[in-house]
Amino acid sequence: MPMILSTTWLAEYVRWDAPVDELVRRLLMSGLNHEATWEVGADTAVDIEVTSNRPDCLGHVGVAREVAVLFDRPLHIPAPQPLEAAVPAAAAIAVEISDPDVCPHYTARVIRGVRVGPSPAWLADRLRTIGIEPVNNVVDVTNYVMMECGQPLHAFDLAKVRGGRIVVRRAHYGETFRAINHKDYSLTTGMAVIADAEGPVALAGVMGGAESEIAADTVDVLLESAQFAPLVVRAAARGLVLMSASSYRFERGPDPAAVEWASRRAAALIQELAGGEVLAGVVEAGTLAGGRATIDLRAARVEEVLGVPVSAARQAEILTGLGFVKEAACSERCRWQAPSWRRDVTREIDLVEEIARIEGYDSIPEDRPIHAKPVEQSARERTIRVAGEVLVAAGLCEAMTRSVVSEAFESTASPWTALPPRRVSPALVRGADRLRRTLLPSLLEACGHNRAVGAPHGDLFEVARAYLDRSGNATEASPLEEPLLVSLVLGGPYAKAKGLAEAVIGRLGGVVEFRRGAFDLFTPGRAAEIVLERAQAEPVRVGVVGEVADGVLARFGLEGPVSAAELRLDLLEISGSQPRKLVPPSEFPAVQRDLNLVVDQGLLWAEVERAIRGAPGADRILESLSLEQVWEDAERLGAGKKSLVVGLRFRSQTETISSDESKRLVDGIVAACGRSCGAVLRG
Amino acid sequence: MGTVSLESFRADVERLRAEAVAAFGAAADDAGLEQARVEFAGAKSGRLKGIQKLLGGLDGADRPEGGRLFNEAKGAITAALDAAQARLSGAAAEAAAIDVTLPGEPFRLGHVHPITQTIRRVQEIMARLGFESVDGPEVEDQWHNFEALAIGAEHPARDPLDNFYLAVAKGADPLLLRSQTSTVQIRVMEQRKPPLRIVSLGRVYRPDTADATHYPMFHQVEGLLVEPGATMADLKGVLRFLASSFLGGDVHVRFRPSFFPFTEPSVEFDMEWGGRWVEMGGAGMVDPAVLAAVGYDPAEVSGFAFGLGVERIAARRYGVADIRDFYRNDVRFLEQF
Repeated sequence: MPMILSTTWLAEYVRWDAPVDELVRRLLMSGLNHEATWEVGADTAVDIEVTSNRPDCLGHVGVAREVAVLFDRPLHIPAPQPLEAAVPAAAAIAVEISDPDVCPHYTARVIRGVRVGPSPAWLADRLRTIGIEPVNNVVDVTNYVMMECGQPLHAFDLAKVRGGRIVVRRAHYGETFRAINHKDYSLTTGMAVIADAEGPVALAGVMGGAESEIAADTVDVLLESAQFAPLVVRAAARGLVLMSASSYRFERGPDPAAVEWASRRAAALIQELAGGEVLAGVVEAGTLAGGRATIDLRAARVEEVLGVPVSAARQAEILTGLGFVKEAACSERCRWQAPSWRRDVTREIDLVEEIARIEGYDSIPEDRPIHAKPVEQSARERTIRVAGEVLVAAGLCEAMTRSVVSEAFESTASPWTALPPRRVSPALVRGADRLRRTLLPSLLEACGHNRAVGAPHGDLFEVARAYLDRSGNATEASPLEEPLLVSLVLGGPYAKAKGLAEAVIGRLGGVVEFRRGAFDLFTPGRAAEIVLERAQAEPVRVGVVGEVADGVLARFGLEGPVSAAELRLDLLEISGSQPRKLVPPSEFPAVQRDLNLVVDQGLLWAEVERAIRGAPGADRILESLSLEQVWEDAERLGAGKKSLVVGLRFRSQTETISSDESKRLVDGIVAACGRSCGAVLRG
Repeated sequence: MGTVSLESFRADVERLRAEAVAAFGAAADDAGLEQARVEFAGAKSGRLKGIQKLLGGLDGADRPEGGRLFNEAKGAITAALDAAQARLSGAAAEAAAIDVTLPGEPFRLGHVHPITQTIRRVQEIMARLGFESVDGPEVEDQWHNFEALAIGAEHPARDPLDNFYLAVAKGADPLLLRSQTSTVQIRVMEQRKPPLRIVSLGRVYRPDTADATHYPMFHQVEGLLVEPGATMADLKGVLRFLASSFLGGDVHVRFRPSFFPFTEPSVEFDMEWGGRWVEMGGAGMVDPAVLAAVGYDPAEVSGFAFGLGVERIAARRYGVADIRDFYRNDVRFLEQF
């Protein structure tokens, strides 16, 4: 909600003797952000942003006070006094607050015999400048005074207030109310109403009722000036989606002392513009809320916080200008009383800020040196960077997808938990209200998007958290379990994603095993879980990898083969933090041997690899092991058999490997493969 | 048993091959090349011929490997001779020429997301001043997201419409997606004693309708320093160091008063970018109430904090007009960074 100033209006309280641009700049640099400036007839409108702690600046007088301090000029605030009749207002109306929690203070004034008509030009013009359309002289005065001092007012047609009494109470559940905008609202008990003897005539602090609004034939006016509890007003404004200038101000808590001034000011203006007889006094319920804070300020504290000195005299000048009152003569330590309109100022540090913002932050130097301090990159940070480096080198682009997804989308896969996803409200974007448990569907969708738009490729990875329920067992460190994942999706068969997963894990120093697994996302028989061996603990699943199933591909508009993997960086991080120790490259020559092993078709490569690596001496001189070729040929190998061409490279750290030694090792390997895998060496 | 070991044979073959290739390559004219040809590949007494004779001295089992080594070397030596001959006759060189403007072997490098790049740049700059990067949970409790940050129960920032609250069992403590990374600062301060210099970073969430300048999920980088005697002048100095390092050159920083519940005084800070002041983020001195909430003594230490919206500075830095583009993951977009 904007706060628009009319500069003509503002000039009624203070003269600043500078162009509007300079006014705007000074306000900007002291806490009132500038949004825009524009001309309205002979007047200039200035739109400013007022932070939620400064409801005093939601009226022209409050801004004028700032201007007076900034430009060191006097501030003139009117002292209105309506001519009151002998008859007391209490003769015309009774007021009762049934729930002081929703309304600490309520006042009603009565003006009889008004002539409702258009406002004079000066008033109508000022309202137009700040974007308020004039209605009639009575309603315009209530708006004018609100925009003058920040205290919202409401005028009722007294003849329409049934039973001659006002009750401020909580709304009944399901009670209906027709507002000035002629819309009907169904109320709840979190809201408050102004009721007459029969029912609600206004939604407290938000909007008046259509039945009792000021009309051309209104003769007697009931003028309300009151305080309403911010939360109650907010509940109504939010709950009914009925924000008004009034609710905006009550939510922020206007000056409690303004209730009386605003009532007096509005009565005097109505009398001046619409005539009529103001009955004596106000009918009041509740009391003026809130004492004023007294705060001790150590003069030296200002420099301790800001890093630059401000003299005690200047400190006092600023605070006095803002309405703070010094309780007694003082030097190093002064006791100040805060003005009623600055309930945000309660502590010494708040006073320091007041002094700083008026004195200007430009006085703080920007070249104060700061001493250096050593810092270490965390294991997690290193892990994330290493994983990213591997995948970028492999040609994948880093993606960023939403953490909150739709239910249908989320249910595609859940490799990390059997518990359902947690829900959030409101939805992040339309239909997306589930905290994701895996990144894979999001990446597949992004991959599909790239295919749809004809991008050069859709090979992507992402590093992000997933959100897993702990069935209520929050820990010190986090309410939910939030594993850090790296996911990748790329065109190509299973071996593509597996190769990248191996590269990332290898770079992080993890030792893992791939075990056949079944996951919703992947083609049956073409998926594996990745299990990390740990020194001090049970092996743990740190990843899944597979070829994306046809049904899933179709759903995301993809064509196979597409492979994907997801790794738990939080679990792989431990090994990533071990500093690497150099193994010097051997100075001795390598010996290369190829073996052609014939095994059963169903035998897993992992079995063969385990047998080879376990052969005597392999740990010492088997430098590398590769699978060169796999082929099947029922005629030459026999049915149900396959041939594996295995490349072996031997090298010793300490000597040239003799042909005897390499032969011994090869024989040992062949024997081990024969023993544990039923492998036969082929010619 | 043979008279020659496979290892010594292999070494001889390799040496010969290396010497031959080097000699052919070094020949400056036809005469020189002919001399080298005779030495290495002469039909009668070339050194290649000599080594071939050694094959017979190998152990029977090693002979196939020996033969393979020999043939490989012979092929390489012949090829080097051919190449040298072609080189010395200009015409042949022309015949062997290629179109050097043909495309190189395609090589696709991946790309780091521009948001990540921006975050890392800020992290690296702050690390020079000793600020350590930290992260923490995105699903938070009320204490860390609000109460410890001096955002009381009645503060509008806690409104259900302004936060992504999780559905929880009746009576359970409310949880929500964090609305700022200051939560991490609270968690770190609860764990460690001052002095402290940290940068917290990551995803944060606020219900905003997605448009060109808003997205309900975005990234924040927040710095925090807590030390005895820290002042706003230190804060300004750090931000100027950040601004100058990030933007290059000597960049000025400006403070404008603002309001945040967890800092007092609170300011918005602007940097001079492209000849004008650009709003970069919020900052201030850590509110004494926040220091007290994490068990620090506000009389002993003071601190400052600042926060940057990563999308905003990345958008400005890279000329991205619509921040939703950061989340479309179009490779044609990502490849440009």
